[in-house]
Amino acid sequence: MKNKGIVFFLIILAIVIVTVVTYDYYSSKPDELPANPYALDADPFARIDTSLIMFNESRDLAINFSEPSGMCFQDGKIFVVGDQKMQIIEPSGKLIKEVPFDQKPTCVFVSQKNIFIGFRKSVSVLNSDGLKIADWNTFSDSTVITSIAEKSEMVFVADAGKRIVRKFTLQGKPMGEIAGKSGNDQIHGFIIPSPYFELAVNPDGELWIVNPGKHSLENYTLNGELRTWWKATSVRVEGFSGCCNPAYFAFLPDGCFVTSEKGTIRVKIYKPSGEFLGIVAAPSKFKENSHAPDLAVDNQGNIYVLDMDRKMVRLFVRKEKR
Amino acid sequence: MNKWIKISLLFTLLFYSLAGMTQKQRFPKPEFGTGYHQPTPITPEPRALALEYTDVFVLLVVLSLASWLAVRKRSRKWMVWLSLFTLLYFGFYRDGCICSIGSIQNVALTIFDPGYAISVSTLLFFLLPLLFTLYFGRTFCAGACSLGAIQDLIIIKPLSLPEWLRKTLGLIPYLYLTIAVLFAATGTDFIICRYDPFVGIFRMDAAFHMIVLGIAFLLMGMFVARPYCRFLCPYGVLLSWMSKFSKWHLTISPAACIQCKLCSDSCPFDAIDLPTDEKQVKHRIWGVNRFLVYLLLIPIWVLSLGFAGSKAHTWISKANPKVYLAELLISKPEVHNDEKNLDVQAFLSSGKSMEILVNEATIIRHKFYIGCWLAGGFMGFVIGMSLLNQVIFRTKSDYEPDKSNCYSCARCISYCPVKK
Repeated sequence: MKNKGIVFFLIILAIVIVTVVTYDYYSSKPDELPANPYALDADPFARIDTSLIMFNESRDLAINFSEPSGMCFQDGKIFVVGDQKMQIIEPSGKLIKEVPFDQKPTCVFVSQKNIFIGFRKSVSVLNSDGLKIADWNTFSDSTVITSIAEKSEMVFVADAGKRIVRKFTLQGKPMGEIAGKSGNDQIHGFIIPSPYFELAVNPDGELWIVNPGKHSLENYTLNGELRTWWKATSVRVEGFSGCCNPAYFAFLPDGCFVTSEKGTIRVKIYKPSGEFLGIVAAPSKFKENSHAPDLAVDNQGNIYVLDMDRKMVRLFVRKEKR
Repeated sequence: MNKWIKISLLFTLLFYSLAGMTQKQRFPKPEFGTGYHQPTPITPEPRALALEYTDVFVLLVVLSLASWLAVRKRSRKWMVWLSLFTLLYFGFYRDGCICSIGSIQNVALTIFDPGYAISVSTLLFFLLPLLFTLYFGRTFCAGACSLGAIQDLIIIKPLSLPEWLRKTLGLIPYLYLTIAVLFAATGTDFIICRYDPFVGIFRMDAAFHMIVLGIAFLLMGMFVARPYCRFLCPYGVLLSWMSKFSKWHLTISPAACIQCKLCSDSCPFDAIDLPTDEKQVKHRIWGVNRFLVYLLLIPIWVLSLGFAGSKAHTWISKANPKVYLAELLISKPEVHNDEKNLDVQAFLSSGKSMEILVNEATIIRHKFYIGCWLAGGFMGFVIGMSLLNQVIFRTKSDYEPDKSNCYSCARCISYCPVKK
């Protein structure tokens, strides 16, 4: 047979062609498809340098909540809200008091005198014994209250639904609002894609409000004028990423920020200037695709992390300085 | 063309194919705020309307030139340069899209799906080569088809295939055309584009197995001239029909053939009809009997393959993503929870109910039932006619191009010693 080698070669090629077409046809069925090659693999961003971890987890307090939603620390007591109740707990885990509500609270703030409970569209003010003093119901239908803070007899209520911070007197009289807008081109106003809109007052009495869509923390005067701000957008550990981060924040006694993020869940520390300092809790400490934890800080700088998925308050203590 | 130039050209093409293989078919992980750039898509981006019409104009010019070079100028050399231009323009510059071969599917879809409208430029890409072929033969294949050009330029040692093999493999394009139209008409897939072996080379990017497919065809094309054109191209079926009736087809000899036989081995595509053998004439009466038998067999072929097609419609319809998904969700309910299954998740997030999906799948399957009847019947007709053609006796006195299968490449012309 003439050209035997070529014919053999051609037969091989024909087999290759048929095999490739058959493989392509059957491998493109819905139950045969490989994993989405275009999916963003976020795992590398969840891996962190352990030398950056500044805190150790020292204690976990199990809490009797099916859906905890907020936490505050005041006068040596932990105030946790969720379901349709508030629990006041000692740092040892002992339950001091439980206060029931007729709706689910979203956040809690405790001042020297009062306890402010935020619900979706209202605020209840309780005295230190847990007895209701007042209800503030001057909010709109689209209101979603996510955070409360108080300074100089002025109460600030973060309304994620209206994308504003409302100001009240201690008696509940509306005193205006902070819309987060300014003449500065770099400031856009609050961008709140999901109900994560946190505010807090630092040890120096300055009001800080998170602008989660901008990954920024913004400092406003009590009159609502922007004083300063910092932002950190990055998927790397030193920044915030996604639609709306940081989800929660609190202040250490030295004015440093403690932040918690959703998505790649992690708790971190930033200097008052906004410079990244280190990590409190790495993503590996949390369940995947779980909720961002709310934060509280005691006078010693210990950080309480409300793990909403494991239903516990986790205490993080700064590592001993070497 | 010099053999070494061809080898160099082949290895250049293979080099670029391998370069494409190393490119990832996924975009890198986004690095927000760290200089991430959106990668270029594998499929060509939509073209401005003016540029689409420019492509049509270029096709028109190339078709005119190819027809002139084949029929009037009778120049193989200039035809090679023209096909090189086609390869660069329609192949590498236009990324192999749009092409007349794939336009069959757009035409089929626009006929059967009232919700789809073919663009004028696509329609012209479909019609212009057919129109030119009707007048000048398959000059489109010679100089205006990028798929033809890439294969034509790498022919090194073409083997002459036995007739039985050519005839048998020659049925594949009919089958491919039938399936392509069936799939396009039912909104299942554009398989001509999906299995275009050279598009990955033109775009310098493709899945690994598609690069392998392209290389396999190129290597095969070194010894079996234009394997895709001859044994797969569905558009070639339509062109061969048109070419059969072409008015001014290329001729081997510019004047009367002197039967010198110099051209007999010149065609790498075995597309030259030889003068009638006297021995065949003696068997004409026997051939008449066979003709009658084969003629009577045609309706039987049509009905039997149509019936077979209708019986296979359930299996064939599984190629439709909607039908397959409906069957998958019914037969494997646990797939509902498979978060990695994008098709299932896309369906679940669409908010469409299972009942609607099943209804849609049933309608598509019914279309397949009718389509498979027609497709099977058509294939039966093709087989019946092919058998009939075996016994139809045509007396030929000269060496002539086989109009249906001749690509008007003008190779044979230079072998003819007859001058005008």
